[in-house]
Amino acid sequence: MPKHVVRLLILLGAGLAVGLIAKWLFTAESFYEFGHYRADSVAEIAAKEPVLQTAAYCQSCHSERHAQWSANNHKTVTCETCHGAAEGHPQKGKLPIPADTRKLCSLCHEKMAERPRTQPQIDLAQHGAGQQCATCHNPHAPKLAGVVAKVSGDAAAGRKKHAESCASCHGTNGISPNDTWPNLAGQNAAYLVRILAAYKSGAQTDVMMSPMAQTLGDGDIQNLAAYYEGLSCKAPASGKAAGDAAAGKALAQNCAACHGETGVGTNPAWPQLAGQKAVYLANTLKAFRAGLRKDPMMAGVVRGLSDADIANLAAYYAAQSCGPRKTS
Amino acid sequence: MKKREAIGALRARRLFLRKISLAGAAVAAGVVPKVAAKSEAAAAQKSFPTPDYDWSKRQWAFGVDATKCIGCLRCVEACKRENGVPLTAHHFNTWVERYVYLEGENKPRVDSHADPVNIAASGSEREYRFANRYQDAKVEKAFFVPKLCNQCEHPPCVQVCPVGATYKAKDGVVLIDAKYCIGCRYCVQACPYGARWFNEEKGVTQKCYWCYHRITKGLQPACVEACPVGARVFGDRNDKQSPISLFIRNNRVHVLKPETGNAPNVFYVGLDKEVN
Repeated sequence: MPKHVVRLLILLGAGLAVGLIAKWLFTAESFYEFGHYRADSVAEIAAKEPVLQTAAYCQSCHSERHAQWSANNHKTVTCETCHGAAEGHPQKGKLPIPADTRKLCSLCHEKMAERPRTQPQIDLAQHGAGQQCATCHNPHAPKLAGVVAKVSGDAAAGRKKHAESCASCHGTNGISPNDTWPNLAGQNAAYLVRILAAYKSGAQTDVMMSPMAQTLGDGDIQNLAAYYEGLSCKAPASGKAAGDAAAGKALAQNCAACHGETGVGTNPAWPQLAGQKAVYLANTLKAFRAGLRKDPMMAGVVRGLSDADIANLAAYYAAQSCGPRKTS
Repeated sequence: MKKREAIGALRARRLFLRKISLAGAAVAAGVVPKVAAKSEAAAAQKSFPTPDYDWSKRQWAFGVDATKCIGCLRCVEACKRENGVPLTAHHFNTWVERYVYLEGENKPRVDSHADPVNIAASGSEREYRFANRYQDAKVEKAFFVPKLCNQCEHPPCVQVCPVGATYKAKDGVVLIDAKYCIGCRYCVQACPYGARWFNEEKGVTQKCYWCYHRITKGLQPACVEACPVGARVFGDRNDKQSPISLFIRNNRVHVLKPETGNAPNVFYVGLDKEVN
């Protein structure tokens, strides 16, 4: 063989050897284990720690919130969708409570033709008068407590029961003789059923009302509610209220969505406020503020009210003329 | 006579082929034991890739019900947080497209978060929301389409990778080995769905991997976890009662660009023919 060919062959052989050694050196050990890739990388990718935890993780501390959330309509919206990733919480600090709920909630609930009709949607310009959604809606139990109780009572039987048990405080015609006890005449029957049942069950308590309500049967409650709703709510003007009705009117804008502009609402689940006793209204609002009366929505609404605000609101509603419920 | 000769020639050929194949086997025998030994070592370990997760037992798949999607983009938000995707309008593992047919128009208007109108509506490209831009228009038909990596059965992105940095795992997910990726971006070009994007900071390609670190721990992918309306469904096709098996069985499902032959593993319900 000619010399130059031999040299060439040696060179080629050396090149091949260097190449093979380099490949052996630089190929990861696990490279061909399952195919043309590095098997170790699978475990490396799988080893990353999750950033988003699950609702179960939040539940371990926030069990009360979790119970409320998981029993209501937002149970499909995970904690971290609104509060952010829980990785490192609580060690690294608190998770945010969204301040701008109008912005947050509208992500899902702004009315859009593109959204499926099954999705609850609201026209932002028409709804809530620019207030934050959380003012009225509890994000963990968003549906307003507008469940209208069924009323199927007999007003005549209710009249008899009223004379026996209730008239001494709430007045013969359901118009209370003093400013502290509420008028019942003309009140929404569905609301009365709900509230009497709450006194009876202990969900709501009052020194006077609790023992009274406990003696009532479900039938009595139905009859009473039907009776009161049928009474005329026209009451003699009571003494001058402590608050400023004009200032109350401005505040009442926040209540109008449920209770109507003048305290005559459209939904029978919620009480009529127009013409109600001022002291009673003020006491009730204070009870909500102190947490003595429990209602997720009212709790949120009254949170920011001062004593003066409450007096003004009470004065405003007490001065309105009551009337039959407007049907929506 | 001629016939016998012909048969003899055939026999000779068969013998020759047999010899060759034997020789081939002998050569291979030198190589195969090495590979086999490695496989046995892997088999000795209880499961791969983690002690609690065996990738040979799962066949992951994903379902999207476009009739349920409300376009809230919480999936996008969750995905970005979970996977550290840059919070810009141009890097997404998963994203949502909006298709709107206005009255008198034959073609849909399509937009996604990258559209400046939507960025203006959210106030920042780091916050995701769809602008209510069609509220005063006469909309004939409109819907949202969530998109993500299809984890194709025959992934063209894997085919073009020159260094073996992307591959199809045994459980069906197409993964990227960030340590091996050289940043050539062939795979970004190869994907017909635009599912891959380049991370300029890290110099590697990234994409949706169905939150492999979550599903191997028994969790759902972040987007599935976050979806408030159940428009995203995930599960194991080997389990006939898993959400995805039921989703595929109980619906008439469709995949994107079936004509490419990639055989995607994301199954859609409620798509128009314009969506691809």
